[in-house]
Amino acid sequence: MTTIPYNHKMGAHCESGTVTSLLNHAGLAISEPMVFGIASGIFFGYFHKHKSFTFPTFIVRNRPGDIRKNIKKRLGVKFQTYSFRNEEDGMNKLDDLLRQGIPVACQVDFFYMDYVPSWERAHVNVHFMVVIGKEGSDYLVSDSYFPRPERLNEQSLRRGRFAGGNMSPEGFLFYPTFVPADIDLRKPILKGIDKACFNMLKLPVPFIGINGIRLFAKRVVEWPKFARDTEHLSHEVMKINILLEDQGTGGAGFRFMYATFLQQASEILANSELKNLSSELMTIGDGWREISLFAARIGKNRDLGADKMKELSNLIAERAELEEDFFKKLKKSIK
Amino acid sequence: MAIEPTDELKLEIKDLIMSTLNITDVDPNAVSNNEPLFGGNNALTLDSVDGIEIIMALQRKYNVRLNDQNLARHIIQSIDTIAEFISRERPAA
Repeated sequence: MTTIPYNHKMGAHCESGTVTSLLNHAGLAISEPMVFGIASGIFFGYFHKHKSFTFPTFIVRNRPGDIRKNIKKRLGVKFQTYSFRNEEDGMNKLDDLLRQGIPVACQVDFFYMDYVPSWERAHVNVHFMVVIGKEGSDYLVSDSYFPRPERLNEQSLRRGRFAGGNMSPEGFLFYPTFVPADIDLRKPILKGIDKACFNMLKLPVPFIGINGIRLFAKRVVEWPKFARDTEHLSHEVMKINILLEDQGTGGAGFRFMYATFLQQASEILANSELKNLSSELMTIGDGWREISLFAARIGKNRDLGADKMKELSNLIAERAELEEDFFKKLKKSIK
Repeated sequence: MAIEPTDELKLEIKDLIMSTLNITDVDPNAVSNNEPLFGGNNALTLDSVDGIEIIMALQRKYNVRLNDQNLARHIIQSIDTIAEFISRERPAA
């Protein structure tokens, strides 16, 4: 039996929540919004046609793994990582690390996490949680989506860690091996903001950043052409709500969490403009939440005529204008 | 300072939920304060879309923020949990 004393905390997002709790465990007092902001987590990408997706979709955060990688780069934290071809090796390594008293972050398919109520389960291969102990054949899991640590049987953890499909976890594990004692957050904050502004304003790719939001607005009216029938279209339109509000976004597509980061950053940098911009982003996030609700309602009511899809498009286009203005001001505020 | 949730506040929350969702065929007094509002046996049984609408209505009426869906899911579990949250978080008059 191994149970590592671990201060379990809920988080808004699985990867930033997991990285934050591991850093806190290692003695670094840092908040989840700060981790998210320094790691330039805020993002937008629209995929109208992509080999990985069967229907147009969008993302509102940077790639899975980027939060850990950017924290490593910008805070000087060192992480040990492992991937495995062989399931036995992967499970043995985890047990070995737990015996050494090391809490370990695991990448899993969310669907196999038995502690998740069945109606909330979905196949998502890039869910992260921390394993903090083992009792008999059950593992003790600190999952930032849940209010307290949960138990997970060996079989389910194994299936989750070695699920197949797109972005399969391959037993991926990580934990910090070095966390600097005193970190001056000022430079990492500026670097994180600068990169986020670059991603949103300057990446020369038509489907990323503000360009991506505009493309989403323009192309969402074509979604009915991709759907098999009204049921399918309704399902896909309602997914807008899930992508913005659920799946650990912290609400309204990570905009609220980034706004909290800016508020904390304004105090550390003594920059009052960042506080104003934090309030502005909260309002922009509320607008995304209106979109989320609008999409959920028209999807639920099967009210998906051309007029409603156009209304949805207009709402999204409005966000593009506001976010472009916001990120330009943000960029200017750190000069 | 947090104030204990009153019965008056709980009734106000029920009225807000029903007016927001245009529910006219349920007696607010029949809605249990501690039974779950989602997926339970309460007189009001709501779904996740209703949940977002409730969150937005609570934010507007009480000037509170309910950003994080993971936390929000626990807060809007029942009338009691909503009332506790509002009593704790709403700005003093």
